[in-house]
Amino acid sequence: MSDLLATSIFWLAATLIIFQGADLLSQRSGRHPLCHPVLLATPPLIGLLLLTGTPYPTYVEATQFLSFLLGPAVVGLAVPIWQRRALIRRLAAPLILALLAGAITAIASAVGILALFGAPRAILASIAPRATTTPVAMDMAAQLGGVPSLAAAIVLLAGAVGAMTATPLFNAMKIHDYRARGFAVGVSAHGFGAARAFQVDSTAGAFASLGLALNAVATCLLLSALALLV
Amino acid sequence: MIGAIALLCACQLAGEIVHRLTGLPLPGPVIGMVLLVGWLALVRKARPTLDAVSAWLTAHLSIMFVPSAVGLIEQGPALARYGVGLVVATVASTILTMAVTVLVFRWALRRFGADAEPGA
Repeated sequence: MSDLLATSIFWLAATLIIFQGADLLSQRSGRHPLCHPVLLATPPLIGLLLLTGTPYPTYVEATQFLSFLLGPAVVGLAVPIWQRRALIRRLAAPLILALLAGAITAIASAVGILALFGAPRAILASIAPRATTTPVAMDMAAQLGGVPSLAAAIVLLAGAVGAMTATPLFNAMKIHDYRARGFAVGVSAHGFGAARAFQVDSTAGAFASLGLALNAVATCLLLSALALLV
Repeated sequence: MIGAIALLCACQLAGEIVHRLTGLPLPGPVIGMVLLVGWLALVRKARPTLDAVSAWLTAHLSIMFVPSAVGLIEQGPALARYGVGLVVATVASTILTMAVTVLVFRWALRRFGADAEPGA
């Protein structure tokens, strides 16, 4: 029986069942950003690994099928970019300038503040891509010598914070243009931000998903250039 | 269906090849994304299946990175030591980035766009 604990089917089934439960809870909460299914599903899965004495590498091996899908999913972000090409052409200047400003601010402020806490390079490399969507952040963190799981946790936190603070922040700043608001939350808080933006306004949602797709490329290009210099 | 999946996988494979040949420190899938935009621009036709497959993948991104998030199990020491810094830096950076992006977007709209805010 105990050999089941090393099989794909055991851990795939456990992950899907626990995730489904987390997703139901998240729905019940009205999709509150702090009740994101990944945030709810991770602690019980860690508990199950500890309980069964399963080493993390065994779990990774068993659930490879899920992680594999991340690659094609990231490639697929090309589709929303291509679909909104007319918009990109029409608003090229504001989109490019805001994208660059946002990407640079995200990297510089996250790395700068964390450096004040004396964090070593591997930890700094894990937070550097924090504004990109999770799979890109994990890949980029690994490229820079960081820790993918730490990058995933940071990105999830950034998303939750962005989704919760965007509306009060933009209201306080008296900025009511939904194009600017949506784009900013997509650049800074990726998929969480886009989901929140779609709840508020469909224009904001469209600009948020554009912001998240474009920032995946912008942040990676900036960090690659930085990695070549440092 | 298979055609759309094949196109996504082919772009990712091409991205991994470019990554290895050039030593470009961009992740293979991100290079693949850029290549796919190029392919869509080059070979223009309606692609309802590709639209549906990529929308499905994007909608279910969350479960795909659960195995990575569980990797926090190995990050106890790093979290104990830098947890506070990580939270402070992430929260501050997220809010600051939104503020900067929204201000630059609005400034550039007025400077270069000259179009009024739609009904806002």
